[in-house]
Amino acid sequence: MFVYEKKLQYPVNIKNPNPKLAKIVMSQLGGADGEIGAALRYLNQRYTMPLPELKATLTDIGVEELSHMEMVGAILYQLTKGMSEKDIKAAGIEDYSVDHTAGIYPQSAAGIPFSAAAIASKGDAITDLHEDLAAEQKARTTYDNILRLCDDPDVKDAIRFLREREVVHYQRFGENLRILTDKLDSKNFYAFNPEFDKKCFKNQMKKK
Amino acid sequence: MTEREILTKKLSSYQFAVADMRLYLDTHPNDSETIKKMNEYTEKMNALKKTYEEKYGPLTKGGTTGSKWKWINSPWPWESEEVD
Repeated sequence: MFVYEKKLQYPVNIKNPNPKLAKIVMSQLGGADGEIGAALRYLNQRYTMPLPELKATLTDIGVEELSHMEMVGAILYQLTKGMSEKDIKAAGIEDYSVDHTAGIYPQSAAGIPFSAAAIASKGDAITDLHEDLAAEQKARTTYDNILRLCDDPDVKDAIRFLREREVVHYQRFGENLRILTDKLDSKNFYAFNPEFDKKCFKNQMKKK
Repeated sequence: MTEREILTKKLSSYQFAVADMRLYLDTHPNDSETIKKMNEYTEKMNALKKTYEEKYGPLTKGGTTGSKWKWINSPWPWESEEVD
Protein backbone atom coordinates (compact mmCIF):
# COMPACT_ATOMS: atom_id res chain seq x y z
CA MET A 1 0.00 0.00 0.00
CA PHE A 2 1.20 3.47 -0.79
CA VAL A 3 0.43 6.64 1.15
CA TYR A 4 0.69 9.92 -0.75
CA GLU A 5 2.35 12.90 0.87
CA LYS A 6 1.50 16.25 -0.67
CA LYS A 7 5.03 17.51 -1.20
CA LEU A 8 7.99 16.83 -3.45
CA GLN A 9 11.01 14.87 -2.23
CA TYR A 10 13.15 17.86 -3.18
CA PRO A 11 11.75 21.31 -4.09
CA VAL A 12 11.31 22.39 -7.72
CA ASN A 13 11.01 26.17 -8.21
CA ILE A 14 11.62 27.21 -11.81
CA LYS A 15 11.47 30.94 -12.52
CA ASN A 16 11.89 30.91 -16.31
CA PRO A 17 9.63 28.72 -18.47
CA ASN A 18 11.54 27.03 -21.29
CA PRO A 19 9.46 24.54 -23.33
CA LYS A 20 12.42 23.50 -25.44
CA LEU A 21 14.30 22.39 -22.33
CA ALA A 22 11.16 20.52 -21.16
CA LYS A 23 11.36 18.34 -24.26
CA ILE A 24 14.88 17.26 -23.29
CA VAL A 25 14.11 16.66 -19.60
CA MET A 26 11.05 14.62 -20.66
CA SER A 27 13.31 11.64 -21.39
CA GLN A 28 13.72 11.16 -17.64
CA LEU A 29 9.93 10.85 -17.28
CA GLY A 30 9.05 8.44 -20.07
CA GLY A 31 12.34 7.54 -21.77
CA ALA A 32 14.06 4.17 -21.66
CA ASP A 33 16.09 5.10 -18.56
CA GLY A 34 13.48 7.38 -17.00
CA GLU A 35 11.88 7.39 -13.57
CA ILE A 36 8.65 5.59 -14.53
CA GLY A 37 10.66 2.69 -15.90
CA ALA A 38 12.82 2.67 -12.77
CA ALA A 39 9.80 2.50 -10.44
CA LEU A 40 8.13 -0.26 -12.47
CA ARG A 41 11.35 -2.26 -12.79
CA TYR A 42 12.05 -2.40 -9.05
CA LEU A 43 8.49 -2.66 -7.79
CA ASN A 44 7.86 -5.64 -10.09
CA GLN A 45 11.18 -7.41 -9.57
CA ARG A 46 10.90 -7.41 -5.78
CA TYR A 47 8.24 -10.13 -5.27
CA THR A 48 10.45 -13.09 -6.11
CA MET A 49 13.71 -11.83 -4.59
CA PRO A 50 15.23 -14.54 -2.39
CA LEU A 51 16.58 -12.44 0.53
CA PRO A 52 14.95 -9.88 2.87
CA GLU A 53 17.66 -7.25 2.21
CA LEU A 54 16.87 -7.45 -1.52
CA LYS A 55 13.10 -7.22 -1.07
CA ALA A 56 13.56 -4.19 1.22
CA THR A 57 15.99 -2.36 -1.07
CA LEU A 58 13.83 -2.86 -4.18
CA THR A 59 10.70 -1.74 -2.35
CA ASP A 60 12.31 1.40 -0.90
CA ILE A 61 14.12 2.42 -4.07
CA GLY A 62 11.03 1.63 -6.18
CA VAL A 63 8.92 3.91 -4.01
CA GLU A 64 11.57 6.65 -4.13
CA GLU A 65 11.51 6.44 -7.94
CA LEU A 66 7.79 7.32 -7.84
CA SER A 67 8.77 10.49 -5.96
CA HIS A 68 11.35 11.19 -8.66
CA MET A 69 8.70 10.70 -11.34
CA GLU A 70 6.69 13.41 -9.58
CA MET A 71 9.73 15.73 -9.42
CA VAL A 72 10.40 15.35 -13.16
CA GLY A 73 6.69 15.98 -13.80
CA ALA A 74 6.91 19.17 -11.73
CA ILE A 75 9.96 20.32 -13.73
CA LEU A 76 8.11 19.69 -17.02
CA TYR A 77 4.99 21.43 -15.77
CA GLN A 78 6.85 24.53 -14.58
CA LEU A 79 8.94 24.74 -17.75
CA THR A 80 5.82 24.75 -19.94
CA LYS A 81 3.43 26.62 -17.65
CA GLY A 82 1.49 29.38 -19.38
CA MET A 83 3.08 28.87 -22.80
CA SER A 84 1.30 30.38 -25.81
CA GLU A 85 1.02 29.20 -29.44
CA LYS A 86 3.89 31.58 -30.16
CA ASP A 87 6.05 29.99 -27.42
CA ILE A 88 5.27 26.50 -28.79
CA LYS A 89 6.41 27.53 -32.27
CA ALA A 90 9.48 29.40 -30.99
CA ALA A 91 10.56 26.33 -29.00
CA GLY A 92 9.94 24.04 -31.97
CA ILE A 93 7.75 21.65 -30.02
CA GLU A 94 4.74 21.68 -32.37
CA ASP A 95 5.14 17.91 -32.84
CA TYR A 96 4.59 17.32 -29.12
CA SER A 97 1.96 19.97 -28.68
CA VAL A 98 -0.28 18.78 -31.51
CA ASP A 99 -0.91 15.57 -29.56
CA HIS A 100 -0.65 16.70 -25.94
CA THR A 101 -1.15 20.50 -25.93
CA ALA A 102 0.55 21.50 -22.65
CA GLY A 103 -0.23 18.20 -20.91
CA ILE A 104 2.50 16.02 -19.41
CA TYR A 105 2.87 12.74 -21.33
CA PRO A 106 5.54 10.09 -20.62
CA GLN A 107 7.73 9.83 -23.68
CA SER A 108 11.39 10.13 -24.60
CA ALA A 109 12.92 13.35 -25.95
CA ALA A 110 12.68 11.79 -29.43
CA GLY A 111 8.93 11.23 -29.00
CA ILE A 112 8.85 7.48 -28.30
CA PRO A 113 6.05 6.78 -25.79
CA PHE A 114 7.02 5.06 -22.53
CA SER A 115 7.36 1.33 -23.05
CA ALA A 116 7.74 -1.48 -20.53
CA ALA A 117 9.94 -3.07 -23.20
CA ALA A 118 12.72 -0.84 -21.84
CA ILE A 119 12.72 -2.61 -18.47
CA ALA A 120 13.42 -6.18 -17.40
CA SER A 121 12.10 -8.46 -14.69
CA LYS A 122 13.86 -11.71 -15.38
CA GLY A 123 13.05 -13.72 -12.27
CA ASP A 124 16.74 -14.30 -11.59
CA ALA A 125 18.12 -12.24 -8.72
CA ILE A 126 21.66 -12.02 -10.11
CA THR A 127 20.43 -11.06 -13.58
CA ASP A 128 17.96 -8.52 -12.20
CA LEU A 129 20.49 -6.88 -9.89
CA HIS A 130 22.88 -6.44 -12.82
CA GLU A 131 19.99 -4.88 -14.74
CA ASP A 132 19.37 -2.54 -11.79
CA LEU A 133 23.02 -1.52 -11.49
CA ALA A 134 23.07 -0.77 -15.24
CA ALA A 135 19.76 1.10 -15.01
CA GLU A 136 21.07 3.43 -12.29
CA GLN A 137 24.16 4.17 -14.37
CA LYS A 138 22.12 4.77 -17.52
CA ALA A 139 19.90 7.22 -15.65
CA ARG A 140 22.97 8.93 -14.19
CA THR A 141 24.45 9.29 -17.69
CA THR A 142 21.18 10.80 -18.96
CA TYR A 143 21.14 13.31 -16.08
CA ASP A 144 24.77 14.19 -16.88
CA ASN A 145 23.68 14.81 -20.49
CA ILE A 146 20.76 16.97 -19.35
CA LEU A 147 23.16 19.02 -17.18
CA ARG A 148 25.40 19.47 -20.24
CA LEU A 149 22.49 20.77 -22.34
CA CYS A 150 20.86 22.94 -19.69
CA ASP A 151 21.96 26.32 -18.33
CA ASP A 152 18.99 27.14 -16.10
CA PRO A 153 20.19 27.11 -12.44
CA ASP A 154 16.71 26.22 -11.08
CA VAL A 155 16.42 23.17 -13.32
CA LYS A 156 20.03 22.17 -12.69
CA ASP A 157 19.48 22.24 -8.93
CA ALA A 158 16.67 19.66 -9.07
CA ILE A 159 18.45 17.56 -11.74
CA ARG A 160 21.60 17.42 -9.59
CA PHE A 161 19.57 16.01 -6.71
CA LEU A 162 18.07 13.33 -8.96
CA ARG A 163 21.48 12.50 -10.40
CA GLU A 164 22.95 12.07 -6.95
CA ARG A 165 20.22 9.59 -6.00
CA GLU A 166 21.19 7.40 -8.97
CA VAL A 167 24.70 7.26 -7.53
CA VAL A 168 23.42 6.24 -4.07
CA HIS A 169 21.04 3.62 -5.50
CA TYR A 170 23.91 2.16 -7.50
CA GLN A 171 25.83 1.72 -4.23
CA ARG A 172 22.89 0.00 -2.52
CA PHE A 173 22.34 -2.38 -5.46
CA GLY A 174 26.05 -3.18 -5.40
CA GLU A 175 25.69 -4.16 -1.74
CA ASN A 176 22.64 -6.25 -2.65
CA LEU A 177 24.66 -8.17 -5.20
CA ARG A 178 27.45 -8.76 -2.67
CA ILE A 179 25.00 -9.91 0.03
CA LEU A 180 23.49 -12.35 -2.48
CA THR A 181 26.71 -13.75 -3.91
CA ASP A 182 28.16 -14.21 -0.40
CA LYS A 183 25.31 -16.62 0.28
CA LEU A 184 25.74 -18.66 -2.89
CA ASP A 185 27.33 -22.06 -2.98
CA SER A 186 30.91 -21.93 -4.26
CA LYS A 187 30.00 -24.64 -6.73
CA ASN A 188 27.70 -22.22 -8.54
CA PHE A 189 30.68 -20.95 -10.57
CA TYR A 190 28.65 -19.50 -13.38
CA ALA A 191 26.15 -17.55 -11.27
CA PHE A 192 23.07 -19.54 -12.25
CA ASN A 193 19.62 -18.44 -11.08
CA PRO A 194 19.53 -18.62 -7.25
CA GLU A 195 15.95 -17.39 -7.24
CA PHE A 196 14.47 -20.40 -9.02
CA ASP A 197 17.11 -23.07 -8.38
CA LYS A 198 17.29 -22.89 -4.60
CA LYS A 199 20.15 -25.35 -4.50
CA CYS A 200 22.43 -22.54 -5.69
CA PHE A 201 22.55 -21.30 -2.09
CA LYS A 202 25.28 -22.40 0.32
CA ASN A 203 24.78 -25.82 1.85
CA GLN A 204 21.90 -26.45 -0.53
CA MET A 205 23.86 -28.20 -3.28
CA LYS A 206 23.01 -31.85 -3.68
CA LYS A 207 25.61 -33.88 -1.84
CA LYS A 208 26.90 -36.89 -3.69
CA MET B 1 11.22 31.74 -1.10
CA THR B 2 7.95 32.07 0.78
CA GLU B 3 7.80 31.14 4.46
CA ARG B 4 6.01 27.93 3.55
CA GLU B 5 8.69 26.99 1.06
CA ILE B 6 11.41 27.57 3.66
CA LEU B 7 9.64 25.26 6.10
CA THR B 8 9.01 22.72 3.32
CA LYS B 9 12.69 22.67 2.50
CA LYS B 10 13.63 22.19 6.15
CA LEU B 11 11.15 19.33 6.48
CA SER B 12 12.45 17.83 3.22
CA SER B 13 16.01 17.91 4.59
CA TYR B 14 15.02 15.83 7.61
CA GLN B 15 12.87 13.51 5.53
CA PHE B 16 15.76 13.03 3.15
CA ALA B 17 18.21 12.20 5.96
CA VAL B 18 15.73 9.67 7.38
CA ALA B 19 14.97 8.11 3.99
CA ASP B 20 18.63 7.78 3.11
CA MET B 21 19.46 6.15 6.46
CA ARG B 22 16.52 3.77 6.13
CA LEU B 23 17.71 2.73 2.69
CA TYR B 24 21.24 2.25 3.99
CA LEU B 25 19.87 0.09 6.82
CA ASP B 26 18.28 -2.28 4.27
CA THR B 27 21.78 -3.52 3.50
CA HIS B 28 23.31 -2.81 6.95
CA PRO B 29 20.54 -4.02 9.31
CA ASN B 30 22.88 -4.47 12.28
CA ASP B 31 24.33 -0.93 12.28
CA SER B 32 23.00 0.20 15.67
CA GLU B 33 24.68 3.62 15.46
CA THR B 34 22.74 4.45 12.29
CA ILE B 35 19.49 3.14 13.81
CA LYS B 36 20.01 5.48 16.77
CA LYS B 37 20.73 8.44 14.51
CA MET B 38 17.79 7.56 12.27
CA ASN B 39 15.45 7.53 15.29
CA GLU B 40 16.73 10.94 16.44
CA TYR B 41 16.13 12.44 13.00
CA THR B 42 12.72 10.78 12.76
CA GLU B 43 11.63 12.58 15.94
CA LYS B 44 12.79 15.92 14.56
CA MET B 45 11.09 15.15 11.25
CA ASN B 46 7.78 14.32 12.92
CA ALA B 47 7.86 17.54 14.97
CA LEU B 48 8.48 19.61 11.81
CA LYS B 49 5.71 17.76 9.98
CA LYS B 50 3.30 18.64 12.76
CA THR B 51 4.32 22.31 12.67
CA TYR B 52 3.92 22.34 8.89
CA GLU B 53 0.47 20.75 8.94
CA GLU B 54 -0.78 23.12 11.64
CA LYS B 55 0.28 26.12 9.54
CA TYR B 56 -0.35 25.03 5.97
CA GLY B 57 -2.78 22.15 5.97
CA PRO B 58 -2.53 18.38 5.67
CA LEU B 59 0.37 16.59 3.97
CA THR B 60 -1.56 13.32 3.97
CA LYS B 61 -5.30 12.78 3.81
CA GLY B 62 -5.20 11.56 7.39
CA GLY B 63 -3.81 14.91 8.49
CA THR B 64 -7.11 16.77 8.04
CA THR B 65 -8.69 17.96 11.27
CA GLY B 66 -11.88 19.94 11.88
CA SER B 67 -15.09 19.89 9.90
CA LYS B 68 -13.72 21.22 6.60
CA TRP B 69 -11.99 18.96 4.05
CA LYS B 70 -8.76 20.93 3.68
CA TRP B 71 -7.02 18.36 1.46
CA ILE B 72 -8.22 19.89 -1.81
CA ASN B 73 -7.04 23.40 -0.95
CA SER B 74 -3.58 22.91 0.55
CA PRO B 75 -0.87 23.69 -2.06
CA TRP B 76 -0.11 21.13 -4.78
CA PRO B 77 3.55 20.12 -4.81
CA TRP B 78 4.20 20.92 -8.47
CA GLU B 79 3.09 24.55 -8.12
CA SER B 80 5.84 27.00 -7.24
CA GLU B 81 4.62 29.94 -5.15
CA GLU B 82 7.73 31.94 -5.80
CA VAL B 83 6.85 32.32 -9.47
CA ASP B 84 3.14 33.19 -9.14
